[in-house]
Amino acid sequence: MRRATDVPGIQGVAVRRRVGARWSAVSRARRALRGVLSAVRQIVGAPDYQRYLEHHAARHPGRAPLSARDFYADFLRWQFGSGGPTRCC
Amino acid sequence: MLALNMRTLRGTILWIAVAALGAAAFAVLALSRGESINAAWILVAGVASYVIGYRFYSRYLALKVFGLDDRRATPAERLNNGRDFVPTNKWVLYGHHFAAIAGAGPLIGPMLAAQFGYLPGTLWLIAGVVVGGAVQDFVILFASMRRNGKSLGQMAKEEVNSVAGMAAMVAILAIMIILLAVLALVVVNALRASPWGLFIIASTIPIAMLMGLWMRNIRPGRVLEASAIGIVLLLTALVAGRWVAQDPTWSRWFTWSSIGLSWAIIGYGFVAAALPVWLLLSPRGYLSTFLKIGTILTLAVAILLVLPQTRLPALTQFVDGTGPVFSGKVFPFAFITIACGAISGFHALVASGTTPKMVMHESEARMIGYGGMLMESFVGLMAMIAAATLEPAVYFAMNVPAGTLGPTAETAARAIAHWGFTLHPGQMEALARQMGEATLLSRTGGAPSLAVGMASILGKVVHGSGLALWYHFAIMFEALFILTTVDAGTRVGRFMLQELGGHLWEPFGRTSWYPSVLLSSALVVAGWGYFLYQGVVDPLGGINSLWPLFGIANQLLAAVALCVGTTILIKMGKARAAWVTIVPLVWLVAVTLTAGCEKVFAADPRLGFLSHARSVAPDAPNAARLVFNDRLDAVLALVFMAVVLVVIVASAREWWLVLSRRKAPVVNEAPFVETAYAAGD
Repeated sequence: MRRATDVPGIQGVAVRRRVGARWSAVSRARRALRGVLSAVRQIVGAPDYQRYLEHHAARHPGRAPLSARDFYADFLRWQFGSGGPTRCC
Repeated sequence: MLALNMRTLRGTILWIAVAALGAAAFAVLALSRGESINAAWILVAGVASYVIGYRFYSRYLALKVFGLDDRRATPAERLNNGRDFVPTNKWVLYGHHFAAIAGAGPLIGPMLAAQFGYLPGTLWLIAGVVVGGAVQDFVILFASMRRNGKSLGQMAKEEVNSVAGMAAMVAILAIMIILLAVLALVVVNALRASPWGLFIIASTIPIAMLMGLWMRNIRPGRVLEASAIGIVLLLTALVAGRWVAQDPTWSRWFTWSSIGLSWAIIGYGFVAAALPVWLLLSPRGYLSTFLKIGTILTLAVAILLVLPQTRLPALTQFVDGTGPVFSGKVFPFAFITIACGAISGFHALVASGTTPKMVMHESEARMIGYGGMLMESFVGLMAMIAAATLEPAVYFAMNVPAGTLGPTAETAARAIAHWGFTLHPGQMEALARQMGEATLLSRTGGAPSLAVGMASILGKVVHGSGLALWYHFAIMFEALFILTTVDAGTRVGRFMLQELGGHLWEPFGRTSWYPSVLLSSALVVAGWGYFLYQGVVDPLGGINSLWPLFGIANQLLAAVALCVGTTILIKMGKARAAWVTIVPLVWLVAVTLTAGCEKVFAADPRLGFLSHARSVAPDAPNAARLVFNDRLDAVLALVFMAVVLVVIVASAREWWLVLSRRKAPVVNEAPFVETAYAAGD
C-alpha cells in the first residue's frame, strides 16, 4: 500500500521530511551533493547502490539486500540481458 | 479577474514578440544572398521556432490529441522495481533521454548537407523537428508509456498486425547494419594517417578496461569514480598524442591506412561484442556519455560567446544535383542527408525503450519526448553553424573524395576553382599544420571538417591558441562515441539476429549459448564490415553511396513509427486529429521513395547504383566487385522501400477497417489506475 506522503524525491525513492528538523550547513551541502550525484547517475544510466538499498528496505523489509558487488553484477546482467541500452547514432 | 487578464495580455504580448523575432531572423536568413551573416540569426530563428512549437503545438498534442492525464498512474509508478521501472525527476529523465538519442548523426548530417549551402539544411532542421521529428518521438513515447513500455516492434505487431511487426523488426536490423557501417567509415576517414587521433582512440581501450576492473573488482559499482579516472586519463592521452605524432618512431606505429583501420575496427567490433560487458562495453558507454554531454554543452557555450560569421553561401549551385560531396538534388537529398536532428526513426527505439518506463507523470512526456528532440535539432543547428563558418574552398577540399579532387593540393585547387571558389596555394598545408595533421585533403565523412569548424570556434574563445588540441579533442569525442555505437550496436544487432534466427533454428536463439553468440556476433560484424570495406575501397569515397542508404533507412524507420502512431490515434477515436502524424508521414514517404528510386534507377552513374554498375569498364581493376557492390546497394534500397510499403499497406488497411466500422477500435493500453501521487508533486 502506498501512502500519499511518500513523495518521490530526485532519487526516485520516498523522501520523508521531518517537521522542525534542523540541518547544519554541512549536512545540507552533503545532501545536495548526494542529490546531484544521484541525478548524474540516472542521466548516464549508472547503477545506484544507495537507491537500491533504500528501495529494498522500503519494499522488502526483513530480507537481506545484495552486496555491492552482487548488485553491480546483477545490474549488468539486467542492463545487457537483452542486448544493451538502445542508443541512437 | 483583472489580474488574470493582465497576465494573459502580458503572455500574448510576449508570444507575439517571440514570433516577430523568429520571423525577423528567418527574413535575414532568406534575404541575405552573397553576404556573410552572423550565426546568431540561425540560432534565433531556431530557438524562436522551438519555443513556439513547444508552447503551442506540443500543448495541443498533449491535451487535445493524446489526452495526457496526470491522474493516470504511469508504468514507472505502478511497476516500480527500483531498476528499469523507476519514477524519475523530469529534468533528470530529460538528460537521460537526450543522452540516449543524441550522437554523431545530428553532427555529421548537417556537415554533409552544407554542400547545398547552409539554408536548406537549416530550414529542414527547424521545420522538420517541429512538425515531424518531435511529433514522432512524442507519439511513440506516449504510446509506449500507455503500454507499459512496449517496444516499437511489439506495438507494430499488436496495433497493426504481425506482418507489420515482422517488417519492422527486419527494418530495424537492416538499418542497424548500414548505420554501423557508415559510422565506422566516418571513423576510418577521421583516423586515417592521423597518429595523434589514432593514439587517443586506441588508448580508450585500455582506459575503458581499467575502468571496468575498477567498477567490478576494486570499488564495485562506483561508476562516477571510475568515470572521473577515465576522463583524466583520456585528457592525458589527448595531450600525449601530440608527442606521439611528433616522435618519428611512435608516429610510424600509429599511422595506418584506411584498409588497415577498417580491419582493425571490424576486429574490435567482434571482440567487444563477444567479451564480457563489464570489461569494455559498459565502461566505454559511460565514458562516451560524459564526453558527449560535456562537449555539446561546451560547443553551445562557445558558439554563444563567439557568435561567428558565416562564410559558406546560403545556397550553392549544387542544389541542382551536381554536388561533389554526394550526388543528388536538394530535393530529396537534403532531407535524406539530415535525418538525425530533423526526424530520426532510430529515436522511436529509444522512446519505446528505457524512457517510457521512467516517466513519473504522464504530462511530462511532452517535455521529454517533444522537448528532447528539439534539443537534438539544436545540436544539428550547431553543426550547421560549424560548417557555415568554414571557408567554402576549405569545406570542399576536405569533404570531396580524392577521386574528384585528385591527389595534390594543386589538382584540388584546380577542381575547386572550377566550382567558383578559391583555394590559395599553401592554404590546406597551413591549415593541416595548425591542426596537427599530415593532410586535410579529402578527409571525407564530415568528422574532420566538423572538427576544424569546432576547433576554430572553441579556439576563438581562448584567443586562437591550441587549435591542434581542440581539433583532436573534437576528433576524439566523435570517434569515441561512434565506436561506442559500433560496439554496443553490434551487440544489440546480435540479439536481434538471434531473436529472428531463433524462429528458424531454436538453438541459434539462445543468447547465452557460446557457439550461437560467436556465430551471431560474427554475422553482424561481417554484415557491417562488408559495407565498411566496400566504402573504404570505393573510388567515389563510400560516403557517397552509404550515407544516403543510411538516411533512407532511418527515414523509413520513422515512417514505420508514424504508421504505428497514426494507427493508435485512429483506434483511440482521434481520426480527425491524426493529421498530426499523417502529414509528416506523407512527406517522409514522398522523400524516401523519391530518393530510393533515384539511387537505384537514375541514369547519372554518380547517382544511380544500376547506371554506375553499367558504367564500370569491364577491364577496370576490381570491375566485378564494383558491379556486385552497386547491385547489392540497389537491392538493399529496394528492400527498404518494399518493407516500408508493406507497413504502410498493412496500416492503411487497419485504418480503413476501423474507420468503416468493420473492426472494433480496440486500443491495447494498460488499464487506467489512479495515481497515488498527490497533485502538484
